[in-house]
Amino acid sequence: MKILLAEDESQLNRVLTVAMQKSGYDVDSVFNGQEAVDAVKKHPYDVIIMDIMMPVKNGLDAVKEIRATGDKTYIMMLTAKSEIDDKVTGLDVGADDYLTKPFSLKELLARLRSKERRSEDYNSTQELNYDNLKLDLNSQELSSNNSISLSKQETGLMRYFLLNPGKAISTEELFNHVWKNEDESEDVVWVYISFLRSKLASIGANVQISGEKGGEFCLERA
Amino acid sequence: MSIYGKYADYLPQILASVLQQIQGIGQEYSEKYGQKLYEHLEGRVKGEESMTQKCERKGLPHTPESALIENRDSIGFRIVCNFIDDIYTCIDLLKKQDNFKIIKEKDYITNAKPNGYRSYHLIMEVVTPFEDVHGNKPGTYYVEIQLRTIAMDTWASLEHEMKYKHDIKNPERISKELKRVADELASCDVSMQTIRQLIKEG
Repeated sequence: MKILLAEDESQLNRVLTVAMQKSGYDVDSVFNGQEAVDAVKKHPYDVIIMDIMMPVKNGLDAVKEIRATGDKTYIMMLTAKSEIDDKVTGLDVGADDYLTKPFSLKELLARLRSKERRSEDYNSTQELNYDNLKLDLNSQELSSNNSISLSKQETGLMRYFLLNPGKAISTEELFNHVWKNEDESEDVVWVYISFLRSKLASIGANVQISGEKGGEFCLERA
Repeated sequence: MSIYGKYADYLPQILASVLQQIQGIGQEYSEKYGQKLYEHLEGRVKGEESMTQKCERKGLPHTPESALIENRDSIGFRIVCNFIDDIYTCIDLLKKQDNFKIIKEKDYITNAKPNGYRSYHLIMEVVTPFEDVHGNKPGTYYVEIQLRTIAMDTWASLEHEMKYKHDIKNPERISKELKRVADELASCDVSMQTIRQLIKEG
């Protein structure tokens, strides 16, 4: 992982940088908010660790600016005092997590490991399986005896079923998970269930989606 | 002497009569349901040269027995349909013809070939007024029928182009992309079939 550290206390900056480098991370360190904003414009990062109280530009303003450019990098704030307001403001301007000073190095490194796990093992699972069925999320390809391509929404719906096999899921839940930010209505669910059913049959899958229009649906062995 | 021997003259006549019979099935269907059973139909008698080469490849003697019995595609048809379920309707109607007997079926639609090829292959025995290789009259001749959707047909043309071009620089890449596009076309075929079903259900 490539990490950007913005911390104005030079001794703390040095300690954190060395510790993270020893853990195998690639670290860029800067000393104020403006330098952080400039660095983010030039280089890609997996994590940004941002102190709040810094000269030239404070951490909150830097986070606001970084987010305003559309950058979605994971940001962890370092709050000097354990004041609730600081944490809330930090999260609200776009940070993802915070650590309260003084914090232990052990905890910071554990959080970085947790972050790494989440992005590599959990989110970027490229393949889901159930019985003889395989869904390749990268190529949006569903296969068993044969293979067939899926559209984006079909892939999203199939993914949700494969993450929850054997569970009865309501039309509303399916809609909320797969179409949450789209200008669509709930009857889209039945259409896509129909698409997936035909596609499962066309590739000779041993699994089926049971359930009736408007009700609960379940991915199960045929 | 033709590899088809004295039977060479019969083949175009059998082709024409089977063609007419299938056209009749199509016409009856469209009168009854107001929809086309198939989009187009084509037939051919396998050229003598191509049949001779095929026998050569298989190590068969150049005789009418090899051409008409060992090989069963001397007469061939291709029926190209709009939708997947039309293919299965066609097959059902072919099975109902008294002078057609389906002796072999290969469903490469539900069991696509690894390269992505999809199609339904049938071999039929057709009873004709002509003498056959065994000396029977009326005689029996083999006819091969391939049924596919328009999308499968388009794909097969493209794959055919690749197969007969021997100087492709990156054949693996092209094969991989052909496979991918076969799966995308299959996806469209199945989706259209499903939409058609949804329309029917209302």
